[in-house]
Amino acid sequence: MKIENEEALDRLIICQQCHTLHEEIPIKDGTKAVCTECGSMLYHYDSRLVDNGLAWSITGLIFFIVANSFPLVNIELLGHEQFITIFKTFLSLFDSGYYLVGLMSLFLIFLFPLMIFLINIILFTLLKLKKAPQFTKELLILFSHIKPWSMSDIFLISVLVALVKLIGYAQIHMGVSFWALAIFVAIDLYITKRIHISEIWMLRKRIFENKGNR
Amino acid sequence: MIEIDENALIRCPVCEAVNISTGDETLCHRCGSRISNQKSSTQKAWAYLITAIIAYIPANLYPMLITKQFGMIEGSTILGGVVTLWEHGSYPIAAIIFFASIVIPVMKFLILIYLLISVKYPIGKDKKVDKHKLYYMTEAVGPWSMIDVFVVAILAALIHLANVEIVAGTAATAFAISVFFTLLAAHAFDERLIK
Ligand SMILES: [Zn+2]
Ligand SMILES: [Zn+2]
Repeated sequence: MKIENEEALDRLIICQQCHTLHEEIPIKDGTKAVCTECGSMLYHYDSRLVDNGLAWSITGLIFFIVANSFPLVNIELLGHEQFITIFKTFLSLFDSGYYLVGLMSLFLIFLFPLMIFLINIILFTLLKLKKAPQFTKELLILFSHIKPWSMSDIFLISVLVALVKLIGYAQIHMGVSFWALAIFVAIDLYITKRIHISEIWMLRKRIFENKGNR
Repeated sequence: MIEIDENALIRCPVCEAVNISTGDETLCHRCGSRISNQKSSTQKAWAYLITAIIAYIPANLYPMLITKQFGMIEGSTILGGVVTLWEHGSYPIAAIIFFASIVIPVMKFLILIYLLISVKYPIGKDKKVDKHKLYYMTEAVGPWSMIDVFVVAILAALIHLANVEIVAGTAATAFAISVFFTLLAAHAFDERLIK
């Protein structure tokens, strides 16, 4: 196989799932390219990537703040009212001496999801302003390291599992934060599915190459 | 024009850029990340994996959840919890916990052991694509084994009355350590070694 120079490597893509080598071809706005071997998504082309990314990230952050501000669930057990918030979940672990699990939960269900959305917002804002080539690079690297450890979706399912265990023992009322968390998770999944990390790298390259400072 | 060997093309695990491998260690041309030395990555993966398997033993022997009810203290292990749920007719939840806490971790151990062994010994040589998919799948479903830990944390936060209280058990820590190290092992494993 022959290529012009090292720059041309950026037009090559190795499929995330099956590791087949592909060459990037131009596609129509709003469409996606899929792997010929396994059918998994390779990349999208979206001319409004930055605006869409920014809008979804801000919306997601708002729902995340709501999800953390009110009770997720209220229950009535033996005549007593009890409720949980995301914070109470790891505080109770600290209270009973489970510092390690408490700390892990703090990162997995609070700090990492929060950081993912903050990074996205800063990143898309900087790309929109065509500023800070070096900092956007560092943000993208940080994003890739954190992303696998953000577990809001798993936490949401865990809340449902915990509640099913309580059916029959307690009266259960869903709180505002539960729905906010569910929407936050949906937005998170949508962004992950819609915006592939390598698309942001390509976009960053185009933006800063045109400005002549890489 | 440069002539390149397609087999020397590697994917950066951080930014997904395609790079030309320059032997033991390659610096990604796009993000600058070090795409690690093959031998050391296998050794690291083994070390993390063995730690995870060791932690998984107490995670199953000790109680995950302790219920204190009117002076009676009762602990239930992961498997015990699944059996209780099943007996009470909560089949879907019993199945979810069984999958998340037992099937996924054990499957991940076995798949990683298989992949790590196949790096050294020629097994499954013709199944390169399947191995990549297997690896991708373990990466994708791995974090779901945290479900039971979160469930215990939620129940402990929710149920703490004077007469009825739920607290996390020792197994929660062991299990969380096991999940953590399995994830580290999977990340440390170098996909390029799949042949
Ligand atoms: Zn593929
Ligand atoms: Zn890279």
